[in-house]
Amino acid sequence: MSEAATAIGAGATAAGLAPAISIRGVTQRFGAVGAAQGVLALDDISLDIAPGEFVCLLGPSGCGKSTLLNIIGGLFKPTSGEVTVAGKRVDGAPRPDEIAFVFQESTLFPWYTIIENFRIALKFQGVPKSERDDLAMDALKAVGMGGFARHYPTQLSVGMRQRVNMARGICVRTNILLMDEPFAALDEQSRMVLGEDLSTLLAKTGKTIVFVTHSLAEAVFLSDRIVVMTARPGRVKTIVNVNERHPRAPDFMLEPRFGEMRNELFALLRDEIRRAMALQRDADGGGA
Amino acid sequence: MSMIDAPREIIMGMPRARAVSLTRWAIILAAAAALEIYGRFFADPAFIRPVSAIVGAWFNPVMSDERIFWALSMAVFEIAVAYALSIVFGAAIGISIGVSNFARASFLPIVLLLYAIPQVTLMPLFILIFGLGAAGKIAFGFTHGIFPIIVNVVAGMRDINPLHRSAIASMGGARADLLRHVIAPNMAPAFFTGLRLSMTLTMLGVILAELYVSTGGIGYFTRLYAENFNPAPLFALIGTLALIAVLFNSLVRVAERRLTPGARAPAKLGLSGAKSK
Ligand SMILES: Nc1ncnc2c1ncn2[C@@H]1O[C@H](COP(=O)(O)OP(=O)(O)OP(=O)(O)O)[C@@H](O)[C@H]1O
Ligand SMILES: [Mg+2]
Repeated sequence: MSEAATAIGAGATAAGLAPAISIRGVTQRFGAVGAAQGVLALDDISLDIAPGEFVCLLGPSGCGKSTLLNIIGGLFKPTSGEVTVAGKRVDGAPRPDEIAFVFQESTLFPWYTIIENFRIALKFQGVPKSERDDLAMDALKAVGMGGFARHYPTQLSVGMRQRVNMARGICVRTNILLMDEPFAALDEQSRMVLGEDLSTLLAKTGKTIVFVTHSLAEAVFLSDRIVVMTARPGRVKTIVNVNERHPRAPDFMLEPRFGEMRNELFALLRDEIRRAMALQRDADGGGA
Repeated sequence: MSMIDAPREIIMGMPRARAVSLTRWAIILAAAAALEIYGRFFADPAFIRPVSAIVGAWFNPVMSDERIFWALSMAVFEIAVAYALSIVFGAAIGISIGVSNFARASFLPIVLLLYAIPQVTLMPLFILIFGLGAAGKIAFGFTHGIFPIIVNVVAGMRDINPLHRSAIASMGGARADLLRHVIAPNMAPAFFTGLRLSMTLTMLGVILAELYVSTGGIGYFTRLYAENFNPAPLFALIGTLALIAVLFNSLVRVAERRLTPGARAPAKLGLSGAKSK
């Protein structure tokens, strides 16, 4: 069983399949070199992500996870290095045909109803008008929000909004989905349930996912591979493989190896989090 | 619906909306009755007249005297033109200032400075430049009305959620889509606030100019009646101006309610629930 899981995941690149996302030596610096406000956010990141793979980025706060995600999505250009998506270089230009985003906070437009929000996203994708509503309703029903299509986002709870936001990201027909802490605003129980839903939905669509999270359990539960990053400047510290087939059932969380992997991740992260905090203290001291 | 949105539906044994409008009319009628009694039995007729006399004066001479009717129409025309100019130029200037941080930082302080000047002090200048006719009054209304629009358009363009910008970009929207789906709807409430303020100020500007240049417009008649201690037609004239102001304001409000997108438009709130369809 675990062999099969590896084949879709980490092993795929080794098996010679072209990666869905290829990151080569990406470095990101904010501000000028040596400037007081200058920050080296990412330092020489290289990573291949196979088609259909679910990869988690895990690391201390401020290590550049969102930055890396935005670079992959073409929201801006890295200082150096390059990202290739589906064989084409991403050069600081979004690729809406290939990549969809789900951001940390809901990006639903408050002046449109839920269904109108979906229509816009689908319109930009070039989906014909006649198909937009069906696609949107399917996605909403899949996350249990079918009854709220005509609501405005402000009329939903934070959790409901984020669920809708996630559904919008999934319903557009891209091969790649970039998710930046999509569940951060939710309580733990909702996160678990939504994580389960996500696993089921994605097993159906076969999308390639890059997912940022701070939750160790979420990372283990959802990922094929977990990329542990170092404190700033962000580098790849280790990659942990999770050999388990999608869709995953909650029972997976009860298995001993689930706990073991979680502990392993925590041990890896603890040092980095301490370093990140020390960095912050130094920065505060230096600024005063 | 929340507790605040769903108050009691029945008040004083009738639907809420009817109770509200009934109460409103009751207040107006009570005030009118009080004025009638005061005007009829207590007041000096050289200064205050009862409501009935004012209504009478409204039919004659205010509405029947061609010259007064003409003066009122002129004022309405001046207000309309000044307001239209304020909207067009205010929106254009506001958008040009609002598009970039650079433009905003450079121009907005100047606009705010000009906005702060009490323009009445400049009235003689306007008359010198534009003369005693409609042009001067329109210009004066325009310089009053344009500022709230500029300031509110700039403010409305300012607080755009950066995530909405990213969302449009990541979904493949163009610059025009950003304008249409984010900047414009985000700006709408502030823009309408500007429109309402501008309406009031445009009217103030035009009427101030009318009163100042009293060669034949409503300013001439108000002065005529005031100086002859003939308050009934004076109040009728002022009341008519107030009515015109209310009318213009309702126009803006209707436009606001119909054109503000999303849940922020109060009229839409009740219709957007799951029950509606
Ligand atoms: N636009 C920017 N200008 C300057 N510095 C930035 C900018 N964006 C991010 N940074 C810096 O880059 C570093 C990485 O930021 P990033 O948001 O990618 O962190 P993160 O890993 O997503 O953190 P978190 O887990 O808290 O979301 C931070 O030190 C941040 O201060
Ligand atoms: Mg982040």
